[in-house]
Amino acid sequence: MRGYIAFIRGAMLVGVVYRLGFLFTILGNIVYIIIAYFLWRSIYSGSDSINGLTFDQALLYVALGSTMFILLKTYTDWGMAGEIRDGTISIYLTKPIDYQLYNFFTTIGFASTSLVTVTLPTVLMLLFVFRIHIAFGVGYLFFPVSLLIAFIIGFNFDYAVGLMAFYTESIWGISITKEIFISVLSGALLPLQFFPAAIQQILMWLPFQAIYYTPLMMVTKPDQEVGVFLQMLAVQIAWAVVTYFLSRMLYNQAIKVLRVAGG
Amino acid sequence: MTLIHLKDLAKHFKILNRHEGLKGAVRDLFSGDYRTVKAVDGISFDIEPGEIVGYIGPNGAGKSTTIKMMTGILKPSGGVIQVNGLSPYDNRIHQAMIMGVVFGQRTQLWWDLPVIESFKILKEIYKVDQRMFDDHLGMFNELVGLKALFTQQVRTLSLGQRMLCDITASFLHNPQVVFLDEPTIGLDISIKAKIRSLILELNRTRNTTIILTTHDLGDVEALCRRIIIIDKGKILYDGDIKKVNALFGAYRTLKLQIKDYSDATLAALQERLTGRFGAAHGITVAQTEEYWTDVTIDQARTPLADVLGFIMSNFPVADVRIVEISMENVVRKVYDGALQ
Repeated sequence: MRGYIAFIRGAMLVGVVYRLGFLFTILGNIVYIIIAYFLWRSIYSGSDSINGLTFDQALLYVALGSTMFILLKTYTDWGMAGEIRDGTISIYLTKPIDYQLYNFFTTIGFASTSLVTVTLPTVLMLLFVFRIHIAFGVGYLFFPVSLLIAFIIGFNFDYAVGLMAFYTESIWGISITKEIFISVLSGALLPLQFFPAAIQQILMWLPFQAIYYTPLMMVTKPDQEVGVFLQMLAVQIAWAVVTYFLSRMLYNQAIKVLRVAGG
Repeated sequence: MTLIHLKDLAKHFKILNRHEGLKGAVRDLFSGDYRTVKAVDGISFDIEPGEIVGYIGPNGAGKSTTIKMMTGILKPSGGVIQVNGLSPYDNRIHQAMIMGVVFGQRTQLWWDLPVIESFKILKEIYKVDQRMFDDHLGMFNELVGLKALFTQQVRTLSLGQRMLCDITASFLHNPQVVFLDEPTIGLDISIKAKIRSLILELNRTRNTTIILTTHDLGDVEALCRRIIIIDKGKILYDGDIKKVNALFGAYRTLKLQIKDYSDATLAALQERLTGRFGAAHGITVAQTEEYWTDVTIDQARTPLADVLGFIMSNFPVADVRIVEISMENVVRKVYDGALQ
């Protein structure tokens, strides 16, 4: 375990090396939030509440959603695909470490840096510059846990996509498809309440909503009963476990086709 | 006790037959046209603790594939492989604790971080205690003067500096066996010498077993007592280096650029040399690259200086280089039965 903690530290240090990049990420996100603000302003013109959400709630959902998107977009799949393609993976396989856990902890490290340098400044800006109105409630206590589980599920997806490089060498198409699926079906772009009822029903049975919709609803509607939040967490945990085992099974299959260049 | 035991080890790859051009590439998308490549085809040997073994052969001989099976990266297609009594592939994480690996063309160091940070990460994953860690780095500092590099970002190191750091890293947890896969590739003479003496010193003081693959016969001469030559996945020779040394130690190749070269020149050269030095002169003539004619001389039979003098005075030579015999030539000679 000590070893894996060292990976978090190492990845954080690497993250800091590229500190200038953060400024652009924050800037890009702010532009997105400004556009979202005017878009949702016009959607809400003349009505206080749509699909059970007020304007403030919808804006908080969308702005926080895009901030979360940056936090969860760790490019783990791209990094893995590169390592698998050029054979660097053999370096990790000669170390006494588990490849999945190694990737998980380095991803945590990168995300920790971006949590401090991108997420926190953006959240402060939402509160004090955009003055987004928030209602306090017990949901805020569950949010950090939910965010961590969402991170794990998101990682499992990335990891599985990265493993596809064993078979396909290039994961460009697979990764783009994954991005689209997650950003649309998880409620990252649009709260799931805005989908037709039948589609909502289906989406609730898929793992994607556990990544964005669940944690975002905890802060958008924080004043619900504790039982409701516990149930949401239970579903999330179930998906984290399922995706973990599926991606581990995939690894056990994929590693068999490993062929490292060089005689 | 035997440290590494290989018996009839084999690794076969299924490779898609790729076709030329865009049309061929599209066809490949739906193709089931595979061929089997026997990268390693029935290899057996045993290695004792403390040995330095040169594992050599031409490109694509199966050296790296064997190393990757010994380190547990690849699963063998057949045969037995045991390191310290266990199968490396099935006990990969456990076995990795007693192994160190250097791949000359890749680095295990974190590209964006100062060297010392990579060492610290390795210290944690191998559970090396602080005192051993300090002793180890102190010793390396004494041997090759590494300290100045510790705070440098890995990507700013020269290839030679990086290799010294990589070797340091692979010995950090005091492994029983270290695999060095082309550790001197692309390095200049002085850094090669440094790396060789470092490896010898580590083997001497810690009794670390070392498996070395290389293209550089100089590495083999300087380091190994035992040598295993492999080609096309099979062992050609396994034994004392002295016997092989006679093969490449005594041989030198004269590379000649002859003015107005034509196909007839080669035949004329061969004929004149035979005329001058007799039939059993141990000289072979070949053209291996454009404009260059190779004259390989067995110095035990004919002095190089005599041959050079004779050629210079009888042929219009524009340029001359003298090179040691190449790995490919050694292997060719072994094939021709030179070791029997």
